[in-house]
Amino acid sequence: MLFSSIPFIYYFLPSVFLIYFLVPRKFKNLTLLVSSLIFYAWGEPKLTAVMLISIATGYVSGLILEKHRNTKKGRLILCLSLLIPVAFLLYFKYADFFITTFNSVTGLSLPLLRVVLPIGISFYTFQILSYQVDVYHGTEAQKNPIDLACYITLFPQLIAGPIVRYTDIERELKTRTHSTEKFASGVVKFTVGLGKKILLANTIGSFCAAFNGATDKSVVFAWVNAAAVALQIYFDFSGYSDMAIGLGRMLGFDFLENFNYPFISKSATEFWRRWHISLGSWFRDYVYIPLGGNRVSPVRHIFNIFAVWFLTGFWHGAGWNFIIWGVFYAVILIAEKLLYGEFLKKHRIFSHIYVIFITLISFTIFNRENLGDILDYFRLMFAADSTPFITAETVYYLKNYAVIIFLAVIGSTPFMKKLADKLPEKARYILTPLFVIGVFVLSTAYLVDGSFNPFLYFRF
Amino acid sequence: MKKKTFNIIICTLACTLVLSGFLLCLFLPKETYSDSERRELTPLPEISVSSLITGRFMDSFENYAVDAFPFRDTFRSIKAYFSYYLLRQKDNNKIYVHDGYIASMDYPYDKSSVNYAASRFGYIYDRYLKESNVYLSIIPDKNVFLAKDAGVLYFDSEDLVKDMKNSMPYAEYIDIFPTLSIEDYYKTDSHWRQEKIEDTAEVLAGGMGVKLKGNRTAVNFSLPFYGVYYDQAALKLDADTISYLTSPTIEKLKAFDGQNNKSIPVYDAERIKGKDPYETFLSGPLSLVTVENPDAETERELIIFRDSFSSAVAPLLAEGYKKVTLMDIRYMNVDYACSMVDFKNKDVLFLYSTAILNNSETIK
Repeated sequence: MLFSSIPFIYYFLPSVFLIYFLVPRKFKNLTLLVSSLIFYAWGEPKLTAVMLISIATGYVSGLILEKHRNTKKGRLILCLSLLIPVAFLLYFKYADFFITTFNSVTGLSLPLLRVVLPIGISFYTFQILSYQVDVYHGTEAQKNPIDLACYITLFPQLIAGPIVRYTDIERELKTRTHSTEKFASGVVKFTVGLGKKILLANTIGSFCAAFNGATDKSVVFAWVNAAAVALQIYFDFSGYSDMAIGLGRMLGFDFLENFNYPFISKSATEFWRRWHISLGSWFRDYVYIPLGGNRVSPVRHIFNIFAVWFLTGFWHGAGWNFIIWGVFYAVILIAEKLLYGEFLKKHRIFSHIYVIFITLISFTIFNRENLGDILDYFRLMFAADSTPFITAETVYYLKNYAVIIFLAVIGSTPFMKKLADKLPEKARYILTPLFVIGVFVLSTAYLVDGSFNPFLYFRF
Repeated sequence: MKKKTFNIIICTLACTLVLSGFLLCLFLPKETYSDSERRELTPLPEISVSSLITGRFMDSFENYAVDAFPFRDTFRSIKAYFSYYLLRQKDNNKIYVHDGYIASMDYPYDKSSVNYAASRFGYIYDRYLKESNVYLSIIPDKNVFLAKDAGVLYFDSEDLVKDMKNSMPYAEYIDIFPTLSIEDYYKTDSHWRQEKIEDTAEVLAGGMGVKLKGNRTAVNFSLPFYGVYYDQAALKLDADTISYLTSPTIEKLKAFDGQNNKSIPVYDAERIKGKDPYETFLSGPLSLVTVENPDAETERELIIFRDSFSSAVAPLLAEGYKKVTLMDIRYMNVDYACSMVDFKNKDVLFLYSTAILNNSETIK
């Protein structure tokens, strides 16, 4: 089920909230677990079993690991217990990719398995893995299977993150507070996310669709589309994260922020501290640091960065474009560390232009299916094959989407937040409810007018 | 206002919005048909173990929830106004408005579609029309007159005409473009206004060597006419008026619906109250219609392979023929349709709009 859908907003959400706030405190986690399973089964009725097996593995292994932490036996148990969710992830997400690659290398034609990818498997697998590792390293294992299952399946963050660490909400699983202040703040956060997803990401998505269907492409169209793709992915994913965080607050949980205006960064390194923060910190804590981080030889340090970024790219999808995208960022980040990081710090305007350029190139790689597609797109961007600079079709779509792209650009910076912060308190009290009503009504209007509305991040 | 009051207002507001939507979704009577889209709305799916396991129920429910949403058309209007006036978008779902005229953007030029249409007409010619006088005429869509000024994307209709002429060397082309302008079309509908196309009919008839009687008068239907684009645009715009042309000759015309084997009126006043008032002309989309002229001073017959535009022009052309047969091969197998008509020594006119030729997948 999508957050940005009529069934979620007008059927699921009110039903769940009514029950959740009516049941006694001791049944709240159970209510959330059942609701989350319904939420998940709505999109994946059959593959819910895969998630339940992974959760059961996490629960049982957590109890065992707690008794054998920091021992050889414990390490072996940890490795074995990590294998099950990882095996599921490899099988469901990457099996066909491996077979295709094997076939193209060997010239064989092994049949593809064509397995259906369970929604959100990358997210909940990472949560289970981090839970198992954390318990091995000293976190108290969750004794109540309902509470653990509630943490992993919690519907606000189940299918597209943010990747919530068990340690971050361990206390809230047992004792969390509900207040009008927290609920109201959650409402506003959810509304911001809803607007980002439906009004900005989806509308910019129409521009990207127009580009893909265009008969007269041009250099300008290719560059603006590259920017539009970056904005679409940003608003799609950060919108979803905002909705997740907002729903979490309404239910009494505090999830960490997942985005912090990445497009204002002055280096790619900073960009990744602001983009998909929960994923970046997950790889830092569970891959980069265990590999030795930067406290190793320079060569090993470079290897560590490559390893992390190869995995980051591969996590996003079973395709060479994602691997190239990850390795591209590894090269850029290493270059920033070794070559021109200091230069960027001293030249602010240049560093902003640099980040935007890197971002457009990287999301072009991210958004294309294969190497051929990526190269074709670059040929378009850099006017190879005598691509026209601009065409009538380009002008039309630029004019047609000028306002929304302008709003999106402004919205991707802290400008609006700063503006809101500067408003007198009284004005904020009046404008916020109007904002909530406006976004709700407009989003509903777009949902009713539109058709199927998938989130881009579901495929990861 | 204190922070606490503000928080209570936000909470109450959110709960009211979502809960009222929830209750309205549950209890408000559901529409079963959408006039604006001219389609049945998705009904509430039946729940069963198999439909739940396969996910069929969920998929259908998603469609149902959107289709059955309370005040659906109002929300569509809100979206349309927001797109046109705040986001300054030229089109909303490819529908645009210029000078009070609503049209559907038709872009790009689909040469393969035009070739497909020409190949189907070629098939008909090869099998049935060797001994007929074959003509081709193309009706400009509203976009031809509107799109450039409206600043939306359009294709050059001359390319389409050229390609059709080249693909149909066996047909004599009759150019009606110079006889038409945007004022000859309804503002809220895709079609031309019958009372404005007398000169077009004269040119068509003249191209086939036929003289029409004329002496017609326009009669207004009293009801407002909301065309096919009106609801699609979801904006509050003025309705059209709809008129028909009559004359002593037209009044005596006898129309017959070959698809349903029954007589039909040339102008059906009842249909003006229906969902598609343009169906008032020869009862709308029928695959086989004949119009006989008892006053004809000739034995000549005309067969028109046509789209919906012909319903309005056929009564005028019938003045110059003993019989006019209208064949719509979008709704009927070509060979079956052609087996019911004798083409020998008849005039045969392929009369299609640019919109149909550029989107010809419906032609059988």
